[in-house]
Amino acid sequence: MAEAVSIDGNLLARALAGSWRTEPPEWELSARELSAVARVLAVSGAGALAWRSVSRTVWRATAAAQDLRQAYLLQTLKAAVREAEIARLFALLDSAGVDAVLVKGWAASGVYAEPGLRPCGDIDLCVRPRHYSRAKDVLASEEGRAFWVDLHAGFERLHDGNVEELFERSRVARVCGARVRVLSEEDHLRLLCLHLLRHGAWRPLWLCDVAAALEARGAAFDWGLLLGRNGRRAEWVTCTLGLAHVLLGARVSGTPAAEAAARLPRWLVSGVLRRWGGTRAPAQPPYTHRAPIASYLREPRRLLRDLRDRWPGPVEATVCVGGRFGRMPRWPFQLANCFTRAACFVAGARRPVAW
Amino acid sequence: MRKRMVEPGPLARAEGLVVRELGGEVLVYDLGTHTALCLNAAAAAVWRLCDGRRTAADIARALAAAAGGDVSEEFVWLALERLGREGLLAARVRRPSPLACVSRREMMRRVGLAAALALPAVVAIVAPTPAQAASLLGSGAGCSDGAQCQSGICNGGQCV
Repeated sequence: MAEAVSIDGNLLARALAGSWRTEPPEWELSARELSAVARVLAVSGAGALAWRSVSRTVWRATAAAQDLRQAYLLQTLKAAVREAEIARLFALLDSAGVDAVLVKGWAASGVYAEPGLRPCGDIDLCVRPRHYSRAKDVLASEEGRAFWVDLHAGFERLHDGNVEELFERSRVARVCGARVRVLSEEDHLRLLCLHLLRHGAWRPLWLCDVAAALEARGAAFDWGLLLGRNGRRAEWVTCTLGLAHVLLGARVSGTPAAEAAARLPRWLVSGVLRRWGGTRAPAQPPYTHRAPIASYLREPRRLLRDLRDRWPGPVEATVCVGGRFGRMPRWPFQLANCFTRAACFVAGARRPVAW
Repeated sequence: MRKRMVEPGPLARAEGLVVRELGGEVLVYDLGTHTALCLNAAAAAVWRLCDGRRTAADIARALAAAAGGDVSEEFVWLALERLGREGLLAARVRRPSPLACVSRREMMRRVGLAAALALPAVVAIVAPTPAQAASLLGSGAGCSDGAQCQSGICNGGQCV
């Protein structure tokens, strides 16, 4: 269990600003600030990113910096292990005639300066709905059980685009000799933005993913594809890019995100910083990951304790009910979110999402 | 006439390891034990020379030639013992009889005074597991690590 820590979300943002680049900016934090954020950075998966900047400072030999270095070394190795796993997994799926797309995790780490800068947890795979049961069988086989996979039929709640179109635009990357399918730059950046919002921008690393993918985009990047036809979601996406600029210094000049960055609603920035700086920030995902309500029937006292954690943040509440990222207060969205979730619980349905 | 047995030289383990070089150090991940190790330049240099044919004396000579200074056999034995203890050699090695009764501390003292290289070191890499974002497995699901489970506890391949 992670220890309870309370830090200023701004410190995390300053520690991670530009950290994904080949030449990260100069480290700005003092030794005291470093020791305050090191543990949170390591636990939240951003320790390796911070180490690259810290390693160029006089603080590099401090205990806090060495913790970040350990994270960097371990992730460098685990990235190599994961890469080999992904190659084996795709070869296995390929032999069963399953065409899968790899999203998030390793697919997001490809745009960082080094492969080990971004930790990979599970392997997120999306397959065409008609291939879902076949893919499930492959993963349930003796060989398939070796992999930690989160399998999605289509793109489910990860992306709001048409499955066939997403597959059509996808690219094939070579990983340890295997063919690994990943989304197009535009589709993956959109996925990263929407996923981050749905989960209340809980992990600072996710905003680094967005910033890194934005800055790594190619010359032929299609902004129309990224923003899509739905105006509300286009606003969400541009606001996420703007957020990456405001909090992490992502370069947005000359892009549609520049305007969004200049007029970001204040609640968005403060809400995300609050989330990053909460007392149990690194170990406390938003309500979407808490224990199911039904589990409290056995232990009602735990519900009282967890109630505060179940109150949705402004970001996920707005996205969950399909709201605009305007300047009006967020409590109506938060209340609406609570009612919707309560209704879903009573009806025994899954948690609501806006798409 | 009795034939003299020729002891094979130390052999670096290759199976079940993922190895990465990083700024002079060598990082090793053991796929069997899921442990990660960091070899400093000296330990890495010895490990690279463990081809099963070279003896400790041969390795010391090769290192001395590369470093342009003295490297004693004790230096190599210090590294070999550590590498063996961490499972990085195909088989554990034993010091030859003249060195067998010298304490490790004494060996380090002797080596430290004369070596052209820093003392060989193999350290475990320990870092907190990043909190997982989503998709944690429910109770009863198959798993291989507590980080995969909603409960955080993996018991015999199943989430608690």
